[in-house]
Amino acid sequence: MLYRTAGQFKTSYKADMALFPVRQDAVLLAVILALVWGVFPLLASEFAFQTLLIPILIYALAALGLNILTGYAGQLSLGTGAFMGVGAYACYKMVTLFPWMNPVVAILLSGLFSAGVGVMFGIPSLRIKGFYLAIATLAAQFFLVWLFEKWGWLYNDNASGAIQVPNLDMFGIYVAGPQASSLVQYYVVLAVVTLMTLLCINLTRGNLGRTWKATRDMDIAAELIGINLLRSKLMAFAVSSYVVGVAGALFVFMWRGAAEPNLFDIPLSFRVLFIAIIGGLGSILGNYLGAILIVGLPVVLNTLPQALGLPISSATVEHLNVMIVGALIVFFLIIEPHGLARLWALIREKLIIWPFPH
Amino acid sequence: MITLKRLGTAVAMTALLATGALAEGLYAPNLAYRTGPFAATGIPLMNGQKDYMELLNARDGGIGGILIDFDECETGYSTEKGVECYEKTKGQAIVTQPWSTGITLQVLPKTNVDQIPILAPGYGFSPMADGKVFQWAFNIPLSYWDGASILLKYLEEQGDLSGKKIAFLHLDHPFGKEPLPFMEQEAEKKGFELLPIPVGLKEMQNQSAQWLQIRRERPDYVIMWGWGAMNAGAITEAVKTKFPMENMLGVWWAGHDADLKLVGEDGRGYKSVSWSFPNPDAPIMADLKTHVVDPGKTQSDAEEMSGVFYSRGLVISMILGEGIRVAQEHAGTPEITPADLRWGLENLDITEARLEELGMTGMVPPFKTSCANHTGHSGGWILEWDGAKFVKATNLIMPDAEAIAPLEAQAAKDYAEANAPWPANDACQM
Repeated sequence: MLYRTAGQFKTSYKADMALFPVRQDAVLLAVILALVWGVFPLLASEFAFQTLLIPILIYALAALGLNILTGYAGQLSLGTGAFMGVGAYACYKMVTLFPWMNPVVAILLSGLFSAGVGVMFGIPSLRIKGFYLAIATLAAQFFLVWLFEKWGWLYNDNASGAIQVPNLDMFGIYVAGPQASSLVQYYVVLAVVTLMTLLCINLTRGNLGRTWKATRDMDIAAELIGINLLRSKLMAFAVSSYVVGVAGALFVFMWRGAAEPNLFDIPLSFRVLFIAIIGGLGSILGNYLGAILIVGLPVVLNTLPQALGLPISSATVEHLNVMIVGALIVFFLIIEPHGLARLWALIREKLIIWPFPH
Repeated sequence: MITLKRLGTAVAMTALLATGALAEGLYAPNLAYRTGPFAATGIPLMNGQKDYMELLNARDGGIGGILIDFDECETGYSTEKGVECYEKTKGQAIVTQPWSTGITLQVLPKTNVDQIPILAPGYGFSPMADGKVFQWAFNIPLSYWDGASILLKYLEEQGDLSGKKIAFLHLDHPFGKEPLPFMEQEAEKKGFELLPIPVGLKEMQNQSAQWLQIRRERPDYVIMWGWGAMNAGAITEAVKTKFPMENMLGVWWAGHDADLKLVGEDGRGYKSVSWSFPNPDAPIMADLKTHVVDPGKTQSDAEEMSGVFYSRGLVISMILGEGIRVAQEHAGTPEITPADLRWGLENLDITEARLEELGMTGMVPPFKTSCANHTGHSGGWILEWDGAKFVKATNLIMPDAEAIAPLEAQAAKDYAEANAPWPANDACQM
């Protein structure tokens, strides 16, 4: 009913290949964009900005980066946390060495450093595959976190070994550091995330994306039809690490405000991997749905007992929370092993043919 | 997309929540950790803090006639959850008790903007003692540099330190690295060799590599800056490698009864510096029994209540309670604001007489704060494990203020410069 596609005719190839061949999809996206650009910022409290909106966007971007590598190009990686760290430390060094630099430019440039590091650690992918490659990226994880701890130059020899975001302004408005308002930070994050998403959608639909998918599905066959595996895999590592690095810089500069090396350890990599898997590997939308489930839901659940006036102690809520979120993850993976994005695709398909079952 | 809409309602709901009605009394949240990897050490502290406030509410009807709404927000010692709790509570709270160096570091720069005092008793950033720079942060009654200074002074009493070798076994984390600048300065001055041995967060339970190094280097003393699982790991490893326990000393967080009970008699002689001590005969313990334990309002038990950490929790809440009382007297109203509380915490004068009134004689050394001194530098005792419990091994030892003050001023200045624009409290003429 809502999703009836009857009467929407495509009269050219261009229309058929458009980003949203079904009009309702475009309308839905417009509604969501209006919500995130206009309505949420007006309604949200400081708490909602800091614990829901900003972290969900940043985690979704990190998962998007990982998804390019793992979901589209089929290269399993456990080093996402460390690559985020490279982005964050690169951004920190840039803004402290060149204080005149525009913070948003620094964030976008910091991705280049993590792209370089990513390509370096991606070289073994030419020889090893699957779980073995995961172990190789695990090495990157251990090595980089060790480097963040031991290389004093990276954190300007700060006694505590942590990096702290200074106050940075852009055209007279603080965008990072303690003086920055959440609203400004939200818009900067949103702008960067929107830009990156647009870039990734187009990359994955284009020539490069098809090359990646061919590599993922069967690399020998891909090689036989003339795809250069070296280029394809290393490009995947580069693009993925770039996006992940930008997410890491946003993570520290637009949200956390300070970071110790330990922050970028394996738990962060796993968290991003879970978001990508539960959201759906090989999809863009899935990263957002996964981030909402893994990052947003626990926060909302935490506030529920208080909102309903239930007298449960905070520690009990935390225990319950872990159980509920864990159960939900299992539940979603049982009803749709391919993730939330696939679940949405099935719902959409059903809506299109509704009220007929087939 | 459906989920996105659900998020929309959630956001609207939390927006409502944030402006929701105030609970009864003064809202003093505690960012507690009763879950997660550090829960074993957290629970006795949290119980002590909570029970003290329960006692005030039940016995005196709160402070100055107003109840204390002492609420816990669970962090599991995770920085991310800690910031979530901070954002959730800061609207109505009169104080933030961050309970981890990581959360403190995160929240510290925001305090000038949010104007809410951070109370971090015995942890956090040592330069927070400089109240002119860190207007809103308090680490009463001792900073980590004070603790390191007391330990070194105690060792000097045992004999000249020059030519000695001291191993500094520490958690490789902001908390563990905190005393390093001070220790390095003292090593140069006093002529001992400092051997920093970091323990990574992943190696806390298995420190065989670190203790192999200690066996090879044969240091005269081991000073330990550990927390959570690291303490038990180090102590059992020390016993296993037959390191003389009387030459091993720890910070106050490394003096947890449960860690020493693991080795019992073999741990005899292990020492820890402390600014709190359990006094089972103190009147407050009897009051706690009548007003909190007997009505069943506590989550603690008799064994835990006799330990060092539970009594430290009591002392921490006492500091907050006294801060509130002083602030109420100054403001002339029981319903104080965060700014009033800051004044209260800056003007604490905990004397022996006041401790007796509170029924807490011998549980904490007397101290005094000011707008320039946010720590109080109370001095501390060296506690020694006698095989079954901690006993006081020394009288009160004062930290070496002359050696610490310049270092504090320099570090505070560096911090303010790195975080410019950072307003200093120029009104404070001290």
